[in-house]
Amino acid sequence: MIEPFTVPFMARALTEILLLAVICGPVSVFVFARRLSFTSDALTHTVFPGVVIGFMAGQLFAGALVAAIVTAVALTLLTAGGRVSDDAATAVLLTAMFSIGVVLVSRRSSYTSDLTSFLFGRLLTVTPRQIAETAVLAVVVLVALAVGARAMVFRTFDPAGAAAAGYRVVWLDLWLNLIVALVVVAAVRAVGTILVVALLIVPAAAARMLTNQLVGMAVVGTVLIAGAGYGGLWASWTASIQYGVALTSASSVVLLLVAAYLLLVPVRLLRRRRRDPVVPERNSAHELVG
Amino acid sequence: MNWWDDALHRATAEVVLAGALAGLVGVQVVLRRLSFFTMALTHATFPGVVAASIIGVNILLGGVVAGGIVALGVAALTRRRGQDASAATGVLLSAGFALGATLVATQSGFSRDLSSFLVGSILTVGPQDLVTTAVALVVVALVLLAGARPLQLIAFDRAGAEAAGVPVARWDIVLLLTLEVVVVTMVPAVGTILAVSLIVAPAAAARLWTDRLWPMTALSVALAVGSGLAGLWVSSRWNVAAGASISLVATALLACSWLAARIRLLPARLAAA
Repeated sequence: MIEPFTVPFMARALTEILLLAVICGPVSVFVFARRLSFTSDALTHTVFPGVVIGFMAGQLFAGALVAAIVTAVALTLLTAGGRVSDDAATAVLLTAMFSIGVVLVSRRSSYTSDLTSFLFGRLLTVTPRQIAETAVLAVVVLVALAVGARAMVFRTFDPAGAAAAGYRVVWLDLWLNLIVALVVVAAVRAVGTILVVALLIVPAAAARMLTNQLVGMAVVGTVLIAGAGYGGLWASWTASIQYGVALTSASSVVLLLVAAYLLLVPVRLLRRRRRDPVVPERNSAHELVG
Repeated sequence: MNWWDDALHRATAEVVLAGALAGLVGVQVVLRRLSFFTMALTHATFPGVVAASIIGVNILLGGVVAGGIVALGVAALTRRRGQDASAATGVLLSAGFALGATLVATQSGFSRDLSSFLVGSILTVGPQDLVTTAVALVVVALVLLAGARPLQLIAFDRAGAEAAGVPVARWDIVLLLTLEVVVVTMVPAVGTILAVSLIVAPAAAARLWTDRLWPMTALSVALAVGSGLAGLWVSSRWNVAAGASISLVATALLACSWLAARIRLLPARLAAA
């Protein structure tokens, strides 16, 4: 079970996933509680033009960072007010930014391979330099999260109360959007968009089945990502070495995470039957973005 | 030579049909805030399409089956109290995409298929795609026409509609399945990004101009078809990706509508201040 990871590139891939597990566990709790699933999905798409421009200029990391920060600011402003509802605004920003990226790559001769590597990432060719970049961003994200956590929890569960207590809700929203954007930048080149979206949404949703406590959710989420990361890499290694089946490592990690979510659904139902808590009714069954 | 033999002519016809389809259903998407669900549908039908093409059955069938499962799943999940629809939709989205990508990766030469799935290839639509889109357009228009009144009631006052005896849950499922049909028809022809863009942006723009349902729908269809045609022209004029230019034109129309709405409301706001 350890043998595949004695190969240097597998060890590096595992290191990258474990680093991401440390940041994505806590961040996904906020994504879950604030219902930012769509925002996370949008951010993974909107960094694409930044990646393209950065690639042309030879500064891929900086390009992605700038695009992510621009999106976080634009999303905060668009959802803060105005007559366009926030889910429509998010969808339009997503498609527009992604289209800009596509227009830019379509001017080059062969763009399908670029797109594919953007989707899947290159988990198995992670370089020590990329791991260092991820580690630096992980520290920044964790510090930012620690600084803002109290206020953001307050704002999540009682927006009016937070505003009355003197917190600027818009700034808190921007803070969280920037944190999610940084996670996306840290992860997207190594592991691709498919895996980043899953890492931001699934862990906390699965952990919610086990516990109601935010810290507990963060810990369970981190453990789930680490487990799925290890299992996914191992499965993809075994499948390709022993059975000759091409199983992309990023998607096997996602599928393991989703499997964990599905396995935990009955646990949640059991817990609920035991305690039978009072759950507030939502006013519309179809407001898919909070 | 037949008029339909030219790729650009076929693309034009497809853009008009797909635009009308997207504009029609887009109004409901914007009013009911289903944008994320639309995005998730485009990704979740992906494994169905891939599996169908591996088995060798019609890919539309695969998409319809996979999308139907997802639509009913979301309907079931959102009916249970306390379930977070946003997270559940997100899980479905990543699961569908990863599953589809895994299936594609087992086949050789997959990068081309994947990118055409994402950004579409509107310049290569065949007569088959045109017929499918036209049929879907007729069906969707009839369903929305038949359901216009209850859907309008539910969109603006859900509790009121329920109290008035409208079968809310049944109409919800009808709407989700209609949206699913639209997504399944549009994605193979125009790609996921353009499908979402054409469904959401024109309707959101139309919403800025009027509060009434019929003018909103007409305007939404007109804007969707218009941005499709303008985008195609831009694409052939400057040789950039067609799908991307169409969605950028749609975005630009929304931005202009937003500015216009701000300017229109300015006197009222100044008077209030």
